[in-house]
Amino acid sequence: MRAVHWGLVALAAAVALVAWFEPRPALEDFDPARHAAFKDTWNKRVHLAYWEKWGSFEAEACQKMCDAFNEGQQEIFVHYIRTSQVDRKSMLAAIGRSPPDVAGLWNFNVIPFAEGGALEPLDGLMARSGLTRDYYIDNYLKLCEYEGRIYALPTAPMSMALFWNKEHFRRRAADLLAAGLDPARPPRTIEELDRYAEVLNEFQADGSPRIMGYLPTEPGWYNHSYGFFFGGRLVDERTGRLTADDPANVRAFAWAKKYAERYGREKLLQFRSGFGTFDSPYNAFIEGRVSMEMQGVWFPMFIRRHRPQMEYGVAPFPCAEGVPGPRSLLEADVIGLPRGCPHPEEAWKFILWTQREGLAILCRLQGKHLPFRRPPPWFHEGHPNPQIEIFEQLAMAPESFIIPATRVQLEYRDMVIRAFEHMWNWPVERHLPGGLKGRERERAAEEACLREAAEELGRVRESMQSQLDAVDRRAAAAGRAAP
Amino acid sequence: MNAPWRAGLKGCAFILPWLIALCVFIGYPFLAGFFFSFCEYQPLKAPAWIGLENYGELAGDARFHRSLGVTLVYAAVAIPLGVVLAMTLAMFLNARVRGQPFYRVIFYIPHLVPTVVVAILWLWIFNPKYGLLNIVLAQLVRAVEWWTGLFFDLAAAREGPAFARGPAVLLALPAALGLLVLGPAGRRLWRGRAAGLRRFLAAAAVAGIVLAAAAAIDAGATWLAPDDVKRLREPSWLSDGNPMPSFVPLAPPMALWALIVMSTWGVGQMAVIYLAKLQDVPAELYEAADIDGAGWLQKTRRITLPMISPVILFNVVMAIIGTFQIFAEPYIMTQGGPEDKTRFVAMFIYDNAFQYQRAGYASAVAWVLFLLIVAMTLLAFRLSRRHVYYEGR
Repeated sequence: MRAVHWGLVALAAAVALVAWFEPRPALEDFDPARHAAFKDTWNKRVHLAYWEKWGSFEAEACQKMCDAFNEGQQEIFVHYIRTSQVDRKSMLAAIGRSPPDVAGLWNFNVIPFAEGGALEPLDGLMARSGLTRDYYIDNYLKLCEYEGRIYALPTAPMSMALFWNKEHFRRRAADLLAAGLDPARPPRTIEELDRYAEVLNEFQADGSPRIMGYLPTEPGWYNHSYGFFFGGRLVDERTGRLTADDPANVRAFAWAKKYAERYGREKLLQFRSGFGTFDSPYNAFIEGRVSMEMQGVWFPMFIRRHRPQMEYGVAPFPCAEGVPGPRSLLEADVIGLPRGCPHPEEAWKFILWTQREGLAILCRLQGKHLPFRRPPPWFHEGHPNPQIEIFEQLAMAPESFIIPATRVQLEYRDMVIRAFEHMWNWPVERHLPGGLKGRERERAAEEACLREAAEELGRVRESMQSQLDAVDRRAAAAGRAAP
Repeated sequence: MNAPWRAGLKGCAFILPWLIALCVFIGYPFLAGFFFSFCEYQPLKAPAWIGLENYGELAGDARFHRSLGVTLVYAAVAIPLGVVLAMTLAMFLNARVRGQPFYRVIFYIPHLVPTVVVAILWLWIFNPKYGLLNIVLAQLVRAVEWWTGLFFDLAAAREGPAFARGPAVLLALPAALGLLVLGPAGRRLWRGRAAGLRRFLAAAAVAGIVLAAAAAIDAGATWLAPDDVKRLREPSWLSDGNPMPSFVPLAPPMALWALIVMSTWGVGQMAVIYLAKLQDVPAELYEAADIDGAGWLQKTRRITLPMISPVILFNVVMAIIGTFQIFAEPYIMTQGGPEDKTRFVAMFIYDNAFQYQRAGYASAVAWVLFLLIVAMTLLAFRLSRRHVYYEGR
């Protein structure tokens, strides 16, 4: 028995010894297969860890941007480290005081990271390097601000538009003409969108949809933004108060609900369940299950990947009658300098280079536009996204909008999306008096939906506003002003 | 150093790695979480003491109440269902049938499959269009419709109440006769005096149920509202947030039913524990009962259940703890939707701590959840005092 004990102790000691002397992998490790071109300068360079979120061809684009930087000088080597859930991992790394040199985050991470002191303010570095505010499209830079200071810089910007399937429009040209609609162009107002959608719908013998002209819940990523196309706002920029139950937002939710009412919520649920994943040939728009869809600047690259011969058009997403356009929701991926990173000076050099040269490589290969006011003239030549100029115009359009940052940003967005889901599933027929038919029933249903949407969004505003007030109050007490 | 001391020291040395891990990975977070629950704590900032504010906010937070409601409703349905199913399964596995070890392995295997794999598998099973469940359900609905259609086609020409119509009785007769013909089973169930009368009454009851079901389904006077019947034809399992059945207050929404159905997938492990105890019940007790003329039902009620009652309590307590901590399945399958109808308390904690960076508030919720689990477990122990039989005492 004693021998067994000693054996176990010896085994444990052996494991500990191996673990102690086993060299840990480091950024500076030279891999002859991957780094042959940098053999001569490898040991002289400062090695930076750049955590970024991309996958698939977007990751390749990011790698190419890093390669271009590494080849263009001999002092720094940037290691692009593909990191899923990059915001959470960056946060944990910051807490553990072991952040990467450069972190690629989302715009909604800026406030919590800046407030928590996890990102360096960049204003001073920008001024020293001659990088000015007017270099950027104002909205994209606003996404990087907190308390009037810039804590990150935009990388891949997002704008969105209406994608329309030209094949469907052509096939139903006669019906569209009969309905007084032009089959050669997409809808320009929400009211027109409804009329186009109605004509483009195709149903099976049992009444279930085969093709939907438009489906407000597809892809379902921006359900919280419909209100903007009706002239609404989620936050009053002047006062910083939440305005979820802005009458325009209420109208937008009631408008989306009409689709569930008209075509049957259950049938639409089942219809959607047959769609494939976004990045697949079975994507609802790419496969031709929906004729029109709200999508982002990246989408043409996915269409090209899965159905290159598809004929489609892109246009600004229509606004309700009387609401000025064109407009688009703008968001952005951002790049920041984590506080306490090992090589801040070199990391800034890399960030600066991305803004001056690198993003042109990244955004071109990812099929996106640049977050700058004046992109270089060569940027558009041979750009893989044939619709890039429309997105660029949308990004610069004066009516385009961002969701102003608050301390409850993510939670607020989730709550508004939940309210949208609530409206979509709300059984309106149970709230109508019996015996109504035809237009009378339609009107009563619309009024009921408007009432319910106003109440639901009112609840969201109340609950989130009280939470925001409490958070702001505590922050103010701790010596920080509200953003 | 004397021998007992040396033995004790050696014992301590052996449990030391486990003890250190317990203190570092469970003890410290447990106590730190308690402290943080009184703080405003964004992970990137130092925690700031705010007293009972987090608990005060909890009391008025509609989202927390909703997630607590979801968890309680799920527990109220899934725990009894799991316990009863596992026990039934164990009793079947305990029967002397050919290939018994094979069946035991088959029922235990699902427990070995990782949760994430199970969730993805069920995601496909619940797919409304291509899912296995809806394909089977569609066939069942067709069979029921055929049966009820036949019933009313036959009865259409006659007058009088449905129960009095000859063809209707004809359809119910096979069920009644079946029960009577199942003599051996019937004899095993009811023995002794008036056994024949009891068998006759049981057959009549079955016939009545068959008739009532047929009449109810086809006449539209269903126990489910007509809308619910429509929803059952091709349920959108994971995306339907409306209660089922819709007229029952606090009934679980369809999406929650889906998770409840899925929870039965793992009852094999519970069944194996029951089985171990079932095989431990002394055979002489059953022999004595046989001599006294007890039937299967009496033996189950008077011998089997009391003898395995400690294991039932154990399984109930484990189920309470497990159910209140459910996270991975809804996180993968529904992300809390539709409309937060499957947002369990554990998900609520995760969202607040990691998504919204409110670790202090999340800690307060975690402590409330902990106290709730303790309360439920104590309740289970208290209720069990009169019903659990320990042989050793």
